Amino acid sequence: MRAPMRGGGGRGGGGFSGGRGDGSGRGGRGRGGFGGRGRGGADMTRGGGRSGGRGGGRGRGGGRGGRGSGMKGGSKVVVEPHRHEGVFIAKGKEDALCTKNMVPGEAVYNEKRISVQNEDGTKVEYRVWNPFRSKLAAAVLGGVDNIWMKPGSKVLYLGAASGTTVSHVSDLVGPGGVVYAVEFSHRSGRDLVNMAKKRTNVIPIIEDARHPAKYRMLVGMVDVIFSDVAQPDQARILALNASYFLKAGGYFVISIKANCIDSTVPAEAVFASEVKKLQAEQFKPMEQVTLEPFERDHACVVGAYRVPKKQKPAS
Amino acid sequence: MSSLRNAVQRRAHKERAQPKERKRFGLLEKHKDYVVRAKAFHKKEDYLQKLKEKAANRNPDEFYFKMINSKTVNGVHKSGGDSDKYTEEELLLMKTQDIGYILQKLQAEKKKIERLTATLHSLDSQPSNKHVYYAEDREDAKRILSETKSVGGLPAFEDLPESIKRKTASSYRQLEDRKNRVQELEKVYNEMALKQELRKKGKKRKLREDEIVCPTSRPVYKWRTERKR
Repeated sequence: MRAPMRGGGGRGGGGFSGGRGDGSGRGGRGRGGFGGRGRGGADMTRGGGRSGGRGGGRGRGGGRGGRGSGMKGGSKVVVEPHRHEGVFIAKGKEDALCTKNMVPGEAVYNEKRISVQNEDGTKVEYRVWNPFRSKLAAAVLGGVDNIWMKPGSKVLYLGAASGTTVSHVSDLVGPGGVVYAVEFSHRSGRDLVNMAKKRTNVIPIIEDARHPAKYRMLVGMVDVIFSDVAQPDQARILALNASYFLKAGGYFVISIKANCIDSTVPAEAVFASEVKKLQAEQFKPMEQVTLEPFERDHACVVGAYRVPKKQKPAS
Repeated sequence: MSSLRNAVQRRAHKERAQPKERKRFGLLEKHKDYVVRAKAFHKKEDYLQKLKEKAANRNPDEFYFKMINSKTVNGVHKSGGDSDKYTEEELLLMKTQDIGYILQKLQAEKKKIERLTATLHSLDSQPSNKHVYYAEDREDAKRILSETKSVGGLPAFEDLPESIKRKTASSYRQLEDRKNRVQELEKVYNEMALKQELRKKGKKRKLREDEIVCPTSRPVYKWRTERKR
């Protein structure tokens, strides 16, 4: 699609006189064309801009470097912050939720990366957050009001598995926050540890989440607990961990898979019974979203822990 | 000397055309046209001559199976014996390969869909899921109701450039196309798999309309249970 724009690049009639000259004209347009834009443009694929006509760009081949290489006539992707802090939305060839990559140039599970150039020339990289692989992303897309995780938060993540979602949570909380990722399985724990090697704010813990006493020395007080353990007694596991690590007035996010708790009753009933269990354990559920297009019979419940009783107006 | 002779202007001889009154015979035939025509004629003549000789010298006892296998249908020659060119097993194997190809294409499409859906989250459309709020009492419920109304959806991309909008739309279109293709391939695959099963040994019969448990427009077969060992 760039080929037709080329004629308009301030050069016009000169196009036929020599293909070689075209190359220099291109650079000039790159500088001029982007001045007024407020946000960063991105350059996903360098080669994508090669036009097929007249061998114009041949001399320079792939190395269309120099300054302003990403800033041609228009950016390919636009990234804007989401309602939730630390989450972003990328629009372009993709229409995706993403987080700012803490380790630029590295993908954790082969997810797509989007790099965007700011006006001052610095590059920022975002990673696409796949809602089919992450229940937290599915909940965000499901329109949950608040996930209570923001830059600087301390998060305890139960059921971290290979660390795909953990990596996004680590992006979300940023260098100022901490993610304690608990996983029991050694096999997936291996991937988790490898991921944590590159991310300084992730602390992998290969232990059973049913016995928080075993890792109490590693974990400090946290602001949020995210639980994705898919066990019949997951409410109890969450309560145990919360009693150890969650500060009063902290928050929890729990993903419930109806089939894992009771596959004989309808999903709605399972969610309701789980919420009941949580309420018995000093949790105060605030909202619940189902993860419908992404997961079947899953729900995400968000709430607070040990909330001080509301002052009843004297009656 | 000759060059001098060449320099002298000479009269140009024009080709003779077909006279007007003989126009209906087409272009006037020249000798070279006649040569081509005559050669073609004699070639055919010789060929016919040879065939006639062959027929005259035929051995009446000569026999080939093709003489009884093939026949002419409405003047068109049809060679028989094509149907048993492949054995039943060979045919089954060939069909398996066809099915294998369809299955491969189907899986490739599915993989591509997976890759596309990973980056296409339909952010602009309203989520189709259920959202429940928990309130302690009536006032709490009222507060939540008023708050949720004020909370907007996603940030509005007001000044999205036209080119980006077009790109997003084309991505979604591609996804839709691929989904349709998967559906079609699945249909073809099921059809082929059924045909293959029907070719195999084992007693089976087509169920009657009233025997089918879950109604479908497609044929349903039932195999007789057979003891394997």
